[in-house]
Amino acid sequence: MTHFLPLIRREWLQHRFGWSLLALLPLALGLLVAGFGQVEFDGDSPLPVDGALPVMLAFAVVAGATAIVFIVMSLTSLIIVSGLARRDHADRSIEFWLSLPLSHGESLAVPLLVHLVLVPVAALLVGLLGGYAISIVLVARMAGPAAWLELPWGALLPATLAIVARLAAGLPLALLWLSPLIMLTVLSTALFRRWGIVLLAVAIGLGSTVLERLFGQPMLSQLLGRLLRNAGQALASASGTGLTLRSDDDPLVALQGVPGWALADLSAALGALASPLTLGALVVAAACFALLVNWRQRSSKAAD
Amino acid sequence: MTVASQDTLVEARNLSVLYGARRAVDDVSFDIPKGRIVGLLGHNGAGKSTLMKAMVGLARPQGELKVLGLDPWRDRVALLQSACYIPDVAILPRWVRVDDLVTLMSGLHPRFSADRARQLLRRTSVGLADKVKTLSKGMVVQAHLALVAAIDARLMILDEPTLGLDVLSRKAFYEMLIEEWCDGERSVVISTHQVEEIESLLSDVLMLNEGKLVLAISLEEIDRRFVALSHDAAVADEMAAAHPLLRYRVGPGPGGSAALFDGEPPAHLQALGRRMRPSLVDLFVALTRKPELDRTQF
Repeated sequence: MTHFLPLIRREWLQHRFGWSLLALLPLALGLLVAGFGQVEFDGDSPLPVDGALPVMLAFAVVAGATAIVFIVMSLTSLIIVSGLARRDHADRSIEFWLSLPLSHGESLAVPLLVHLVLVPVAALLVGLLGGYAISIVLVARMAGPAAWLELPWGALLPATLAIVARLAAGLPLALLWLSPLIMLTVLSTALFRRWGIVLLAVAIGLGSTVLERLFGQPMLSQLLGRLLRNAGQALASASGTGLTLRSDDDPLVALQGVPGWALADLSAALGALASPLTLGALVVAAACFALLVNWRQRSSKAAD
Repeated sequence: MTVASQDTLVEARNLSVLYGARRAVDDVSFDIPKGRIVGLLGHNGAGKSTLMKAMVGLARPQGELKVLGLDPWRDRVALLQSACYIPDVAILPRWVRVDDLVTLMSGLHPRFSADRARQLLRRTSVGLADKVKTLSKGMVVQAHLALVAAIDARLMILDEPTLGLDVLSRKAFYEMLIEEWCDGERSVVISTHQVEEIESLLSDVLMLNEGKLVLAISLEEIDRRFVALSHDAAVADEMAAAHPLLRYRVGPGPGGSAALFDGEPPAHLQALGRRMRPSLVDLFVALTRKPELDRTQF
């Protein structure tokens, strides 16, 4: 795939403004709120630097900012991906792209990879850095400018990085579970334009209702439920034990437990792949991709 | 243009392209050797764009088609590395700056020269920093032509390339094409409705009518094969009796008529008229008009 980097560059050129805006806006708002908003805590103020609250607050802010940017960018990517097959038809530049020596497969695969994997991973990193920036402001307001540097970074840094690593590693797994739905959506919008998503939703809703009520087979709704549940668990709580940090815990001990939890949780998410459903999801996604390639190959209309 | 050889860039035999039940291209056979500039002429819907799409692997043909020795449908990516193509409805992506497009093309096309593209763009009114969405239709065409002309290809396929360009820009493009791009080894296939403008550039002509190839011939052969006789109105009936391909007006007044013949006209008619070279437009009309229409009646 010799055109990998140029095709990534194409996505960057097309979406850089929107990506920058969507990633930086929540962080800028967070910084504004942290800098100028009113922060109230029970008890005496300022809080002691060696207390649990600044540490846990810094961790929560970093984890929260990372999660928010990740969710915003991932949802945006899903919206973009849903119309990916037809986006160049909208401005008629498809004829230009088809005149270049690019295979239909790579023309579809690279944007999918960029929007579904690279953008969310980049969002994690941006969210992490932004979270640190917000935590500086917040902790400085609470306990003075030097307090942020005096936080127990030996535990805080691995804990925040573990959260990011857990989400980044879980992302491909979540995508695997969601791939049949994502690829069916892309295919349906390729075939039926903006009605594609509606038709797909109606088909799935109607199909599951008919199967359940007429034939007593809730298999379709159960299947969808399993796919969505597995996708969620691939990102977090695959082991069934979510990450809970209580305020009365020793913050150092709690933070030191985060990398271990992340690793165990990722192992559980990987273990969930050992299922026939994994193979089924991959087969459906691959079939949809093959149909998309075929559709793109035949999408150049006659115009004499 | 029917003898295939090692120098043949395009070779089509019994080529058809179907859109559903409709035969957009119907059983055509032709060759395009290297170093030729071929005009592909036809009415709207005659099959020109479809034939060009088939030549670059964007429409699936039936029959035999080899372009640069490759099967366009199966080897589209390899083919487009050595053949460049401007489709008739081409619009560059609106969200990109021209210079970014040059950089993108550098990464996406192995034979694209960014320096050459920037050099060609400097001759136009398009700025490198301009966003495509801020350009006029003609400027977008100028930018697209500059990008395509910067590809070191063996075959250039241009479907209505100058649509939307003013006459000066059209002239500048064709001059650049002939003087700088064509080197005796490369060939160009041009489809256009502005036949008069490119007639002097062409070495060969392919004429399509309702999907069928009605003429595949070099300009030299046209001069040898087709004869037009201009004549006075007084001999119009005698000319018509000889069943010319076309009777048409060549000037104002009763003496401004002509008859176009495929081959030498009868000797007695040659004495009644003045021999003249038929234009490509008149030949095109003669070969592709509806039989029930007669231009002399308009």
